[in-house]
Amino acid sequence: MSTPFSSLGAPASGMRVYQTWINALSDNVANINTINPAGEPAFQERYVVARSSGGSAVAPGGSRANAGIGDGAYIAGTEYGDPGGRMVYQPDHPYADENGMVRMPDMDLSTQMTNLIIAQRAYQANVTVFERARDSYERALEIGR
Amino acid sequence: MPISPISPIASSITPITRPGGAQDTAATSNSAADFGKSLTGALDDLDAKQKATDELSRAAATGDLQSVEDLMIASTETQLATQLTVAVRNRAVESFNEIMRMQL
Repeated sequence: MSTPFSSLGAPASGMRVYQTWINALSDNVANINTINPAGEPAFQERYVVARSSGGSAVAPGGSRANAGIGDGAYIAGTEYGDPGGRMVYQPDHPYADENGMVRMPDMDLSTQMTNLIIAQRAYQANVTVFERARDSYERALEIGR
Repeated sequence: MPISPISPIASSITPITRPGGAQDTAATSNSAADFGKSLTGALDDLDAKQKATDELSRAAATGDLQSVEDLMIASTETQLATQLTVAVRNRAVESFNEIMRMQL
């Protein structure tokens, strides 16, 4: 990036990535107990695929020494968990089949909550980097006063 | 009584030449054009940033905002770009005033 305030781009992209991950995790938590009939696929766990925006590495002997630096991350796509889920015995459930089985998503609430904390802390870390970069730029602009 | 004529002094004065010759003037006007161009470019960039922030602020006011961080990032960038432009402008005006105060 060649904009004058390029250091803001990377933490901004990180904030977008973790915002998306938090959205995916809240989707998972919202559907943690969603029950489907045995003949239908279960709710599939949402996975967010994050990728680095920069090039593979710093270009050797390139004209720009900072090539591939400060480009941040982006959401490359979404992956879905096993549609098979897990079969649970609930014979009195309206969706139960002749064997009394229903299909529930194969997710673990404690894993989701742990990932939620990781995503929240990572988002906050990106906000901190953003604030530091902003303060640095403001400090640099003080030179002109 | 014969009066001796005053000899012309013009021949003894060599005209002052600028160190860079005539080329210098062209270089100055070129760099002035470059400065003007970069200033216009910076102002266009600032204008685009302000428009983007305006759009996001409108989205926030009407409840269409998709993500909070987009607005905060855009407004921070606009704020910094405005400060940069104002700083450059102040320095340019300062330089101009300094030149205008010069004793001729």
